[in-house]
Amino acid sequence: MMTQMTVKGLMFDPYNNAYIVILRDEDNSDMLPIWVGKAEASSISFALEGSAAPRPMTHDLMRSLLDTVDAKVLSVVVTDLKDNTYYAKIHLMGEDSEYSVDSRPSDAIALALRTNAPIFAREEVLRKQASEELDQWLENLKPEDFGKYES
Amino acid sequence: MMDGDKESSDLVRLTVHGVLPDSNTDTQIVILRDEEHAEVLPIWVGSAEGNAIRLALEGVVPPRPMSHDLIRSFADHLNIKITSAVITDVKSNTYYATVHLTAHGLERTIDSRPSDAIALALRANCPLYVTQDVLKQRGGSNLDAWLEKLEAKNLGKHEV
Repeated sequence: MMTQMTVKGLMFDPYNNAYIVILRDEDNSDMLPIWVGKAEASSISFALEGSAAPRPMTHDLMRSLLDTVDAKVLSVVVTDLKDNTYYAKIHLMGEDSEYSVDSRPSDAIALALRTNAPIFAREEVLRKQASEELDQWLENLKPEDFGKYES
Repeated sequence: MMDGDKESSDLVRLTVHGVLPDSNTDTQIVILRDEEHAEVLPIWVGSAEGNAIRLALEGVVPPRPMSHDLIRSFADHLNIKITSAVITDVKSNTYYATVHLTAHGLERTIDSRPSDAIALALRANCPLYVTQDVLKQRGGSNLDAWLEKLEAKNLGKHEV
């Protein structure tokens, strides 16, 4: 079973000096926070705001490469969570066959936003991350921590 | 024939000599050299891009694919061959590059930042070039002196 997710926003985690991408399902019952690096966060932020960077960023280059052979991103899926690390797959349609490519979720999300591809999460991943510890941590966050990236 | 000769003489092949942290800013410097070691071209890149280049230089295979490993993986699946990367221009201290591909028998060129082009060239084992014009435009003797000092101090373990 898979649940379609949308990118709700991007926030800064001052404790880990990293960024968190917030994914939510459509009825807002499940949430998936994914920690990403600064470069990946910046790339996701550009895509969320719909603004083009002055020079192509890594994921724009990725998209250009796919465009040269008319390959389409069909979907991206957050497939697993192990030791606090998320894993993802990107599903592609090439000339006449489908491919699944292993990816970090940050790359998958940055690419999905640039190609209007749907983002999914496996049910097991949603169940695994719903630990009390995380809920508690999130409750402690203040609304202003979400800042200007919330959408 | 003439055109081919002209084009190849306009491009200088570069090797990636190392990646240095720039202690003054949150950036890293990729040191490129030509094959005779007569020219040095330093290019400032973000820390993520610097790390992506360093991992490839050191031959480290990360547990999860990094962005440029993913691009390489797309290329492999889709029968795209990455044939070269070229640093094509410099304007107001910003460098521009292109990545050259062969896909379905056609040659394609895509725009790129030099950091992505270098990170990709190292992973695709393809040559990296700079145009003569760009080499001429980069800084003068001050830069060389500055680099020598920096290298003696910092290059250390990242040198290859």
